[in-house]
Amino acid sequence: MTLQIELNGVNKFYGAFHALKDINLAIEEGTFVALVGPSGCGKSTLLRSLAGLEKISTGQMKIAGALMNDVPPRKRDVAMVFQSYALYPHMTVEENLTYSLRIRGVKKAEARKAAEEVAATTGLSHLMKRYPRELSGGQRQRVAMSRAIIRHPKAFLFDEPLSNLDAALRVHMRKEIRALHDRLKATSVYVTHDQIEAMTMADHVVVMRDGIIEQQGRPLDLYDRPANKFVAGFIGSPAMNFISATVAEDGTHIVLDFGKTQAKLALGSRLASGTSVTAGIRPEHIKVVAEGQGAFDVPVGIVESTGSATYITSATTPELTIVETGRGGARSGEIIGLAIDPAQLHLFDTATGKRIESENGRVGIEPPIHLHLAGHAS
Amino acid sequence: MKRILSSVTDGKGFDVGLVVLPLAFLFVMSGLPLVYNVVMSFQEVDMFSLGSFARPFVGFRNYVDLFSQPETRPILFNTALFVVASIAGQFAIGFGLALFFWTNFPGASWLRGLFLVSWVMPGLVVGAIWNWILSGDFGVLNFLLRETGVIDGNIFWRSDPNYSLWAVIIANIWLGTSFNMILLSVGLSGIPKDLYEAAELDGANAPQRFWTITLPMMRSTIGAIIALGLIFTLQQFDLFAAITSGGPNNTSNVTQYWAWDLSFRQYDFAKGATISVIMIVFVMFASVVYVRSTRHEVRG
Repeated sequence: MTLQIELNGVNKFYGAFHALKDINLAIEEGTFVALVGPSGCGKSTLLRSLAGLEKISTGQMKIAGALMNDVPPRKRDVAMVFQSYALYPHMTVEENLTYSLRIRGVKKAEARKAAEEVAATTGLSHLMKRYPRELSGGQRQRVAMSRAIIRHPKAFLFDEPLSNLDAALRVHMRKEIRALHDRLKATSVYVTHDQIEAMTMADHVVVMRDGIIEQQGRPLDLYDRPANKFVAGFIGSPAMNFISATVAEDGTHIVLDFGKTQAKLALGSRLASGTSVTAGIRPEHIKVVAEGQGAFDVPVGIVESTGSATYITSATTPELTIVETGRGGARSGEIIGLAIDPAQLHLFDTATGKRIESENGRVGIEPPIHLHLAGHAS
Repeated sequence: MKRILSSVTDGKGFDVGLVVLPLAFLFVMSGLPLVYNVVMSFQEVDMFSLGSFARPFVGFRNYVDLFSQPETRPILFNTALFVVASIAGQFAIGFGLALFFWTNFPGASWLRGLFLVSWVMPGLVVGAIWNWILSGDFGVLNFLLRETGVIDGNIFWRSDPNYSLWAVIIANIWLGTSFNMILLSVGLSGIPKDLYEAAELDGANAPQRFWTITLPMMRSTIGAIIALGLIFTLQQFDLFAAITSGGPNNTSNVTQYWAWDLSFRQYDFAKGATISVIMIVFVMFASVVYVRSTRHEVRG
């Protein structure tokens, strides 16, 4: 596979503000890449830099092997789908689609034919004479995509294209964009703050925060082995539970700190005693069992049911969120046992936030203990 | 009385009051004089019948007389030239300045505000300033043109029949440019930035972006500004009074100045009214264009 987009040591400064910090990224031809992170993390700046709408301060940026640092946007041959769609309001759908072709001097009849072909695949054929203001949100979205497709660009850039749509349409368009990508086999870079979009659509996910790439890789690798606490908390919904813990004197146990009470878990490997660590466990990896049957017992705080799943929040400090498929039987106020699959427990260095790898990742569990409501008599 | 009181206590009828008051004002201050003017253009009016409204009707005789006068055609032509040249100059320079300030260099908004100084100045003051600038022997404009080699001898802008109208046009362009610039600036800032980014990614260079995005998106603003320009230039009276007084020999006379001249200097009120009625028709047309173009705003 050839590299379609290559970033080497890219930095971007806005005055004194360091927006992109030493970004290295290699995107293979035909890959769907998602840039994901909280707002202000630099993902949009990175995308706009790829488009040429922002100029990078230092570093190298290559598209299809050619250095792009000083190439203006119109000569980069990339297409962008804007969050606002940025459709030309004074042009019909057809004129919007053919704009880029007409600018390039394509004959009117030829451009129209191309527009009709694209419109047929995106379901816009009956809307060609309409103006953008006469279209619904989903239709505008389709026009914006078609306008990108018609050009056969070297890369598609998406800037949060689904954020203006309602939830149902968003799920639908998600699939449509991915299907389109599979059909066109074009390189796509997709910016989103929604990790679900990133996980479901992308081949390669890049998690960013404060201008740096925290981790990149295949979606499930990020889910299974997050490189640090930030990625662990960002990927997955509901978010991973974090419990601060200390390595016990023997170096083979960690003590989970629940405020008034503590729970002890055996480690598969040896760590320096006294080290502060953060234990992470995903809500879906905790199983509700009878009192006294699991790793430890907790009082139930809030129970929310969506019908297909039940979300249990424990009345402990910190709170634990547990997701159970189905209805479940837990009631608020009762004591339940929690079983934890040792292979699913993540450990992070509290000081650096970095993942601590234990040999074969196994963590044993001590006999069950009780965790009580804060302020409850223990 | 009860109604008025209730409008104060519970707001009922307040909306009616809001409409009635300005309408009454408009009717008394604009509507009645307008009707009076139109009626007068069909009457025989002299110094003795000026005080009464019941004057002999003469049908279209005032209109026929007016168009048989030798100066009428040149003055109508002057008016057309004045309107077209003024609007063209104000619009072109105003648009250029608006685009220039749109680039948002440091101090752009501050400088743009300064430009408004020309617009807030009374026409008579502007006329006095331009009298100095245009002055034949000592004028700075002549000095500049002479030093740059454009002309050999001084041009007597205000008294040379070939230049007198242009003297007023130049002053009027200076006076109206900043108003054009401000309105066009507002129009420009209303165009979403991402349209330009999209067009840029679609391969359009700067002139192409101007022709395919800026101009079409500005269509309603431009329509409104041309219509307003037509109305304002047809109202321009002060500059003529201050610079040329319509002379020499009517070469810089226009309808709005002539109407005043006929009525209040020659006391031919009927002809003055007739000229005004002809102008009303043009202004009405401009108003329709203005209303229509502000109604058809194209925005995302």
